[in-house]
Amino acid sequence: MSSAPLLEVRDLHTQFPTRDGVVNAVDGVSFQLQPHETLGIVGESGSGKSVTVLSVMRLLQPPGRITGGQVLYRGRDLTRISEPEMREIRGQEIAMIFQDPMTSLNPVYRAGWQVGEPLRLHRGLDLRRSLQEAVGMFRKVGIPEPEERVRAYPHELSGGMRQRAMIAMGLTTAPSVLIADEPTTALDVTIQAQILELLKHVRATFGTATVLITHNLGVVAGMCERVLVMYAGRVVEEGPTDEVFSSPKHPYTWSLLRSLPRLDSDERKPLRPIEGMPPDATSLPSGCAFHPRCPFAVDRCLSEAPALEPLGSGRLAACWVTQSGKDLNQAEETLG
Amino acid sequence: MLVPYMLRRLLAAIPVFIGVTLVTFLVMHFTAGSFIPGLDLNPGLKPQDIARIRDNLGLDRPLYVQYATWLWGILHLDFGRSLIDGTTVTSHIFDRLPNTLELTSTAILLGVLISIPLGVAGAVRRGSKLDHAMTVLSVGGFAVPQFWLGLVLILMFSVQFHAWGLPWLPSSGAYSAFDGGDLLDRLTHLVLPATVLSFFYLSQWSRYIRSSLVEALSLDYVRTARAKGMGERRVVYVHALRNAIMPLITLIGLELPALVSGGLIVEVVFGWPGIGRLAYERALQYDYTTVMGTTTFAALLVVLGNLVADLLYAVADPRIRYL
Amino acid sequence: MIDQPVADLQLAEVERPSPRGRGKPRPYVSESWLRLRENRFGTAAGLLILALAVVAAAAPLLSGLVTHHDPTRQDLAAQFLPPGRAGYLLGADELGRDTLTRLIYGARVSLGIGFLTVAIMLTVGSLVGLSAGHYGGVVDGLLMRLVDVVLAFPAVFLYILMAMLFRPSVVTLSVIIASVAWANIARLVRGEVLTLANRDFMLATRSLGAGNARLMFRHLLPNALPVLIVAASLYVGQVILIEAALDFLGLGIQEPTASWGNMLSNSQVYFVHSAWLVVLPGLCIFVTVLATNIFGNAVRDAFDPRLRLK
Repeated sequence: MSSAPLLEVRDLHTQFPTRDGVVNAVDGVSFQLQPHETLGIVGESGSGKSVTVLSVMRLLQPPGRITGGQVLYRGRDLTRISEPEMREIRGQEIAMIFQDPMTSLNPVYRAGWQVGEPLRLHRGLDLRRSLQEAVGMFRKVGIPEPEERVRAYPHELSGGMRQRAMIAMGLTTAPSVLIADEPTTALDVTIQAQILELLKHVRATFGTATVLITHNLGVVAGMCERVLVMYAGRVVEEGPTDEVFSSPKHPYTWSLLRSLPRLDSDERKPLRPIEGMPPDATSLPSGCAFHPRCPFAVDRCLSEAPALEPLGSGRLAACWVTQSGKDLNQAEETLG
Repeated sequence: MLVPYMLRRLLAAIPVFIGVTLVTFLVMHFTAGSFIPGLDLNPGLKPQDIARIRDNLGLDRPLYVQYATWLWGILHLDFGRSLIDGTTVTSHIFDRLPNTLELTSTAILLGVLISIPLGVAGAVRRGSKLDHAMTVLSVGGFAVPQFWLGLVLILMFSVQFHAWGLPWLPSSGAYSAFDGGDLLDRLTHLVLPATVLSFFYLSQWSRYIRSSLVEALSLDYVRTARAKGMGERRVVYVHALRNAIMPLITLIGLELPALVSGGLIVEVVFGWPGIGRLAYERALQYDYTTVMGTTTFAALLVVLGNLVADLLYAVADPRIRYL
Repeated sequence: MIDQPVADLQLAEVERPSPRGRGKPRPYVSESWLRLRENRFGTAAGLLILALAVVAAAAPLLSGLVTHHDPTRQDLAAQFLPPGRAGYLLGADELGRDTLTRLIYGARVSLGIGFLTVAIMLTVGSLVGLSAGHYGGVVDGLLMRLVDVVLAFPAVFLYILMAMLFRPSVVTLSVIIASVAWANIARLVRGEVLTLANRDFMLATRSLGAGNARLMFRHLLPNALPVLIVAASLYVGQVILIEAALDFLGLGIQEPTASWGNMLSNSQVYFVHSAWLVVLPGLCIFVTVLATNIFGNAVRDAFDPRLRLK
């Protein structure tokens, strides 16, 4: 690690009290984001990936709240600053775009008006100027006939264009960090590819550090330099994407990869779906949360939860099995 | 977008218009048998009056001709003549209509002006005392009989205040018979009836706005707005409220058609010289034609009111214009 | 070939996990019922209505055994007795009639008209709504136009008109009010039918050769019942208010029959010295309508399908 990280999350804890108990949605998550880097966060629904970034942005709605840890942006702890100060950062330094552009855009205001809003809020631009900027941004994100599109309502735009508009909205203030929560999940497959291309282009043009949240490993493979794998509110593996994918150091990552059909896999080998169900957030399994579904579990996994340990060359994993040096790809043979 | 939508709405309204006129015509025709003999017994009417009435009503011509005459008359704003004194219903309507509109529009305005801040306060401060008070108000407001509320208010603010020597509010009429007619006079006369009429609106609308706003605040685009770094006030008033107001527009739209007729009970209780009271007075005198004419007028205004409401929705919510 | 008759197609039972999330799933109706009973206000309101109904039905019994008064018997010696005097629990009115007894008989009128009107409304409205929604096309167009026309008339005006034409009694008033209100039910039912008509179970039933009547009454109607029940509970209150207003205006139930509305109109001039004569009937109306509203809301909340998946 050369320069200081742009964003650093240290041992973040976020809880939601519910009728059936307290849910530790984020249970001691730490990671760093370097300038211009693209970090992927993968996990199932309920793994805590969205809650993590919402906590970073302090966009949690009560009764959810951050109960511990720090979120350092350029050295400032975002969990400690006042709400007005946080608002300065939101939309201007750290921008976030969401999964479904149809519901994430306000249906009663025109697209350009919404896209230009951060400029009016943070840079004090007047309406006319902000709309002009919006036209420019639309062009940059590849929306054809931008002068007309800015006057359109969200429901008048196609799915792909809406997502482009959302991306434009996130980038108008040239933030240092862009957080994209499942940006392609709600889109058709062909549009997904376009949006991913756009994100790559944006990254190249603007140099924004990006956090990309998804449950789609293919998206991560195409876009992210590093990847975080989350399970039951914790980071279970971290590392450079290609290494993590070729040689996973956590059984969950390993199982995810094994359950995907791949062009280069042996057709005679059956796909292995992950057994069991995602854990009930109010009553997690003892020890390692993944142990009921883990093909490699040993006795220790049932009683002690493993910590995230470095395994050399920027890789981290939270697993007793791999920490003892076992290679999961080789271990597969013994599973049959 | 807007114009074709309105044309479609207009087209759909025409059969209803025809239907209304047809129904009133048929009712009048079939009750004609019951009130014409009665006319003969009315000592106030001379034989030539009766003949004139018969002629006016065209009772000797075929049914469809009578209907056509009736319809034609309506299109020319002729709603018939009174059985009692032969005066045109239209003249009464024009006399009284402004008063009714004054009352009902004030009530709606009061309702909107008070329920929006109440609803916002309740939504933003859920579970607070204000919120609970509003719940009680809305459940209760639905159950209070309008005439009883009017009665109680009159007894309190007109009679009792007067008896106690306090400045009191007038209890009947739109303005004082002597010395009256200026703005203050009209306003003091307006207070009680408008309050009673708006009470029901208030109790329901504040509740609606509250729940609509609570729901809007949980939607994705509000999260986006907050993510853009905007203050909560702007989030609520610019982003959420604009959407949350929709049901209120719908509700106001529902009341628009009743703009003319909704105040009947209040008009009677407060002696307000409006269209509702006209119908009531004339009903007591068995002046069928005036009552029918007034009813037809009110019904047609309902149809018109629905059209205006449709226009309002389309203006407020751009998604509607495709329906 | 099937040589045995195909079994009656049962209604699709909507089964969901019970509210606690554990244990075996319960059918929709009994779970809703359970949920309703858990709502304290709703249950209290429901019980109150039941109690009122019993009181109203037992009015002659009560007046004979409990209050010992006839609602119409005048006794000028007892004029304007305030509440609390012996034999006149809630006082007496301008003609010396016992207020309590009159209130009880008034309950009879109000609840009687309330329930009767709603019964008529529901019957006519459901029939129209079912037919319109089910048959669609021209039938739907015609029926809905009719509904539009009926709804275009300001109800109050029509009530006044009809009260002029027909001598008001409990039955005629019910018919008068229902003759306008059915249209709301028709719209409601039609809406329900339209959402139901495309569901798979309808398709399945139809493909088994079920005829129209069977489809409408055995399948569509029961599924529209929750909405109807809620509407019914809420409308009872509204009808009571309308009826009271008509009585107050002198166009409804006439003297000497006691009704809460006409008790109010009689007593307004006596407010200064006999305030209870004005307050009490109004309070009765208020409490009754409040109870029906609360109960109706509780029913709606209990039967709301969206709340199932807790």
